[in-house]
Amino acid sequence: MTNFEIGLTSFPVLLLLIFLRVPIGLSMFLVGMFGLYLVTGGWNVALARLKSETYGTFSSYSLSIVPMFLLMGHFATLGGMSTALFKAAESWLGHRRGGVAMAAVGACAGFGSICGSSLATAATMSQVALPELRRYGYSGGFSTATLAAGGTLGILIPPSVILVIYAILTEQNIAKLFLAAFIPGLLAAIGYIITISIYVRIHPDAAGTREPIPYGERFRALADVWPVLVVFLLVVGGIYLGWFTPTEGAAVGAFGTGLIALLNGGLNRASFIESFLATGRSTGMIFFIVLGAAFYNGFLALTQVPQELASYVTSLGFSPWVVLAIILALYLVFGCVMDSLSMILLTIPIFFPIISTLDFGLTPEETAIWFGIIVLIVVEVGLITPPVGMNLFVINSMDRTTPMVATYRAVMYFVASDVVRVIILVAFPSITLFLLRALH
Amino acid sequence: MSLARFMAILGGLVLTCLILLTCISVLGRGINTFLHSGMMQNTMPGLADTLLGTGVGPVLGDYELVEAGIAFSIFAFLPFCQITAGHATVDIFTSRLSVKVNRFIQMVVEIVFAVVLIVIAMRLYEGMMAKMGLKDTPAILKLFGDKGGLFMSETSQLLQFPLWWAYGLSLIAAIVAATVGVYMAFVRIGEFFSNRTVVESAGVDH
Repeated sequence: MTNFEIGLTSFPVLLLLIFLRVPIGLSMFLVGMFGLYLVTGGWNVALARLKSETYGTFSSYSLSIVPMFLLMGHFATLGGMSTALFKAAESWLGHRRGGVAMAAVGACAGFGSICGSSLATAATMSQVALPELRRYGYSGGFSTATLAAGGTLGILIPPSVILVIYAILTEQNIAKLFLAAFIPGLLAAIGYIITISIYVRIHPDAAGTREPIPYGERFRALADVWPVLVVFLLVVGGIYLGWFTPTEGAAVGAFGTGLIALLNGGLNRASFIESFLATGRSTGMIFFIVLGAAFYNGFLALTQVPQELASYVTSLGFSPWVVLAIILALYLVFGCVMDSLSMILLTIPIFFPIISTLDFGLTPEETAIWFGIIVLIVVEVGLITPPVGMNLFVINSMDRTTPMVATYRAVMYFVASDVVRVIILVAFPSITLFLLRALH
Repeated sequence: MSLARFMAILGGLVLTCLILLTCISVLGRGINTFLHSGMMQNTMPGLADTLLGTGVGPVLGDYELVEAGIAFSIFAFLPFCQITAGHATVDIFTSRLSVKVNRFIQMVVEIVFAVVLIVIAMRLYEGMMAKMGLKDTPAILKLFGDKGGLFMSETSQLLQFPLWWAYGLSLIAAIVAATVGVYMAFVRIGEFFSNRTVVESAGVDH
């Protein structure tokens, strides 16, 4: 077998392992190690790399942003910020038709601006918003679907853990990616709010009503959320303006969020330990995948498969848009069964070289940023696509009275809104790149 | 279990220290820049220079400390992730298979995982030895035979601390991870042969 053939064979082997429930990071690690053994004809290279690569991967300054953002998210969860955000959004929107659901989406967007993870956003907001939604007579399936969809805003609105990984893999500027994610994230929130208003018109009995709240109270509720806004602006603005590196920004954000949580009385010894453990668990998982991916991608690079594939795809002479559509379709399918981070780590080293050889009428940097944002959205759609979307399970398990099928039926409206948004963002790259171009 | 918890909490504490350190460094650099700024130098140069004289500025070698500390944190997080079955998996295909088959798969996976974690710890040890400048001769011999201080140990750029210290800290955590990996392998072997579930494999949350 030539090296190229070994590289190609590794895909099905890797998928088989993953589908046999071997942890994704371990699968990539094993295939990468064994592949290196086959390609270099001995264990020496593989073992020599292992000597420094594990420490090297774990001691990366730019990757240290990941545990810091995770800890920040857990502090935000404990600090009662989700409650303040929901109350503020609810006091302004709650009296409208479907308004409490819209408020939940708005609060998810707000929470997403200090939390970089999708499931965490969905789960945290559900604890606050789900009981309220049910209290005002919103149907179970509609409520859970709204929160599952709202959760995906957590990853889209910066800071986002997955964008950090994408930036490192493709050697792009994290600050610019965060900036580019902002408008698509806002569009997502608006799209979900429109979806809600359409849904309650088609199913009028799915939502209850409530009396409007006086303006004085509304502004008071709004005043409670300013710490969130300060932290968000400080972190994203500071990184963007070059006051500090992304890692420093994450540290400042984690400190600020921790401080707010402490002042709100949300942090005591037990909850500190709780947030350490939760951060530790996700960090361990993420970094083992990153380690596996480093080995697998190192092996793939040796086999020349990514370059060969890229030049093969270019030689076929398809329109760049057709290639992009096929890649996005693949992401949509795999997004249903795999978590977004593993997908990004697994596929970007293969797909990114292909995309960067294609001409979309953008500069290479713009293409990279635009593609990253779209991929991020598409893998997130997978999280809420029945029957396997992970957000759906998490949220549904929080409301025992709602059957899974009810969630499935309602969430299809949100999936439709996502698909429309992806088509718009693909067709008009300038929407994603607008802020970037305007500020440079 | 409590060992894994302890390591994760320790990792969290180190992470918190790194966050504080980075914030102090950012603050120090900010104040330093401010004191050097035209406004301060023109309006109250005396005060600005006195304050600068106190050495306010970014923490020396903060990058290096973050890199060394974060590596320890992550190694320290691994045992807890391992023992709570926190690794990301795809289980929609295997969920159709029988419980017995699933237990078998889990047993094999945990055994392989344990082996991998042991290999990682062993290679990390080798890496540490390389950083100490003890590459080729057996490490123990060198340690005792080289008392003349002829180590060619690699140090960090700014703080000049030997890099093997950082490796050594991580190694301790990696050994715990390997131990927990072996423990989990035995748990799964026990589960397979006794047909009982000891450790629930929960879904991922991230």
